[in-house]
Amino acid sequence: MVDYGSDPAWSDVVPIVQLDGGPNALAQIAYSDEYSEAMSYLRALMAANELSDRVLSLTENIIRINPAHYTVWLYRARVLLDQNRDLRSEIEWLNPIALKYLKNYQIWQHRQTIVDKLDDPTGEQEFIRTMLEKDTKNYHVWSYRHWLVKRFNLFNKGELEETERMLDEDIRNNSAWNHRWFVVFSQDDSVWKDPGIVNRETQFAKSKIQLAPQNESAWNYLRGILRNSGTPGSAIMGFVLQFAPIDEPEKIRSSHALDLLADIFRELGHIEDAERALDLLANIYDPIRENYWTYRKDKLVISVDS
Amino acid sequence: MLTTSVPPPPFSRLPPLPTFPPSISPEPLTPTLAAQKQVAELCLSQHEIAARAEPHRTFPFDRVAHAEFLAGALEKYPWQFQVQDASRPWLVYWAVAGLSALGEELEDVEDWRDGLVATFKPCQNLDGGFGGGYGQLSHLATSYAAVLSLIASEKEECYRMIDTRAMWHYLGRMKQPHGPFTMCAGGEVDVRGAFCALVIISLLGLPLELPQDAPARKSGCDNFLTNLGEWIGKCQTYEGGLGSSPGNEAHGAYTFCGLGSLCIMGTPSKTVKKFLDVDLITKWLSARQYAPEGGMAGRTNKLVDGCYSHWIGGCWPLMDAAMQDESPNSSKRDYWSREGLLRYIFNCCQEDGGGLRDKPGKRADAYHTNYNIAGLSWVQNKYSFSEPKDGEGVASGLAPAHGWDYKPVVDIPGLPDGRVNPHHPVYVIPWTAAAKAQAWFGANRAMAR
Repeated sequence: MVDYGSDPAWSDVVPIVQLDGGPNALAQIAYSDEYSEAMSYLRALMAANELSDRVLSLTENIIRINPAHYTVWLYRARVLLDQNRDLRSEIEWLNPIALKYLKNYQIWQHRQTIVDKLDDPTGEQEFIRTMLEKDTKNYHVWSYRHWLVKRFNLFNKGELEETERMLDEDIRNNSAWNHRWFVVFSQDDSVWKDPGIVNRETQFAKSKIQLAPQNESAWNYLRGILRNSGTPGSAIMGFVLQFAPIDEPEKIRSSHALDLLADIFRELGHIEDAERALDLLANIYDPIRENYWTYRKDKLVISVDS
Repeated sequence: MLTTSVPPPPFSRLPPLPTFPPSISPEPLTPTLAAQKQVAELCLSQHEIAARAEPHRTFPFDRVAHAEFLAGALEKYPWQFQVQDASRPWLVYWAVAGLSALGEELEDVEDWRDGLVATFKPCQNLDGGFGGGYGQLSHLATSYAAVLSLIASEKEECYRMIDTRAMWHYLGRMKQPHGPFTMCAGGEVDVRGAFCALVIISLLGLPLELPQDAPARKSGCDNFLTNLGEWIGKCQTYEGGLGSSPGNEAHGAYTFCGLGSLCIMGTPSKTVKKFLDVDLITKWLSARQYAPEGGMAGRTNKLVDGCYSHWIGGCWPLMDAAMQDESPNSSKRDYWSREGLLRYIFNCCQEDGGGLRDKPGKRADAYHTNYNIAGLSWVQNKYSFSEPKDGEGVASGLAPAHGWDYKPVVDIPGLPDGRVNPHHPVYVIPWTAAAKAQAWFGANRAMAR
């Protein structure tokens, strides 16, 4: 703990003490003396627009006490960038903080600012992997990963393999599914005209559905491919029927298959079959969504009428 | 179905566990499935205990205890809460919005309305925005929370403290030429920014034209709405929900922000249909509600959480408005299970002694308390939007708050005891507060600018 008040290195600074709004103010916090003093010195440095070494040590102290303080991170980033500081050592300093405060997201915006300036993604994919081992669906880490892949064109640098590895660990990790979509399909719309890739991804989704037919993530992925590639659902009707044999309803193994089957029947103009599938969903396989399935049923009739 | 005087039908059976006949290969038990099974069992046992005496029973809604919990959230915090130092405007907003909905006047508790100006003065910066506290940089999230809290009070004194002209310039600096907004200078660009900015712009009646000093003007962007609808549309993923920015995973909170933005930008049945695939988002939203829990999850294959009573549940009033013209039946139709969510909130999210929570086993906090209570507003009312006939919008053609209407739903269990004061579906503050603020800022525009 630093005692700024008696430290000669800080004697030129007149701290700006906390204004908390007086006795009427709501949700006041009884700050510790340590935090309160550090913040008073930070306000003074910010007011003077000082961009110096001691800003770095001060912000480091405050972050240690309160890592969810966006102002402190932003000011720190400003100093690092303006003064051309060693950004590598900043990343090394950041790593344990990120691992300690898994749910903190200011860290990831800061990291993005630093790595963008560094113009070098070395080590980042490895660190993301370590993070995701601790928290496999952390939204901020995945968002950072998207940014990184795009910023440094890492689409073909092990990302596909990494999503596959994560899905081997947990086939229902939807963040990994979404990242796979991002890696495969988001670069260029011409990918939809590449039958090699479209087939590969279709097979990938199908093979995962075989392993866990009631996994919504895989069905969403498969349906996304069908829709974007303009493939009619009827092309995979046989596959879908495996999981939703509508003529033997007691053997149905997936509500998502039944949902897709209803759409395939509609596409084929088999309205009564589509209604049968939607009734099974409303009554037996997904009744909490009864209102939605009823809506889908009513839409069948509307689309026939018009 | 809605607002009839016919006695409510008996409560339908508990939704069964989503079990399937034995499959050839059993579903592999991965961490996701293991956690899901555990939560489903926990919630089912809560529902069973609540319904032991009578099948349609829920636990009673402990209104006074929740109001006391939120009033406590406005009291002084010990030093251990200094990690919340940048989130104080949020704490205030959650408590204020929740207390307003509960409508509970507590003895010995000072009216929060009297403390708002004192609370937010130190957070207000000369640039027009609000930070998390004294000396903290302006941020769109804290500005949103501060403005909503001030407006929720319905007091002129609170309106007057907002520097609308400076706020307009501040928001102008956050606008990105490709459409969205950055949360703060040097911060993240995501769909929250658009929603926070549009809420402020429409409530304060700010001009849609960008101020001359807005950096985005250098790229030929002259309006807050330039490229925004298209950008929000790109946030919709192959699953149907919206991610924080294009390419990111569909997520309840970002979906609410995106839909909410479109519902401010114009008549929802036009803007939502123009920029989003409506069938796809409807399907995705619907799939976020689980049985037997009854509650909402924020993403595919994630667990239910009481805060999504709002982030997902709150999308339904907006979708109702977006789809209200689809067919003659549309205005009477529901796409989700009100009773399921009501049961999750009442049976699984109430903590003994007050406050609402994520799920059984978690601790209550102001955030989950507020957003569960907001969920009750969406459960208990059916919302619609009518285009103002006199063309009376705000800020050059945005959808005005008073274009929205609601009708209480009568045929769900647990009512009327558990009824809350309805929130506005876009602004998530008391029904009257948003329209009143728009009227005041509209009338005082010349003065304020």
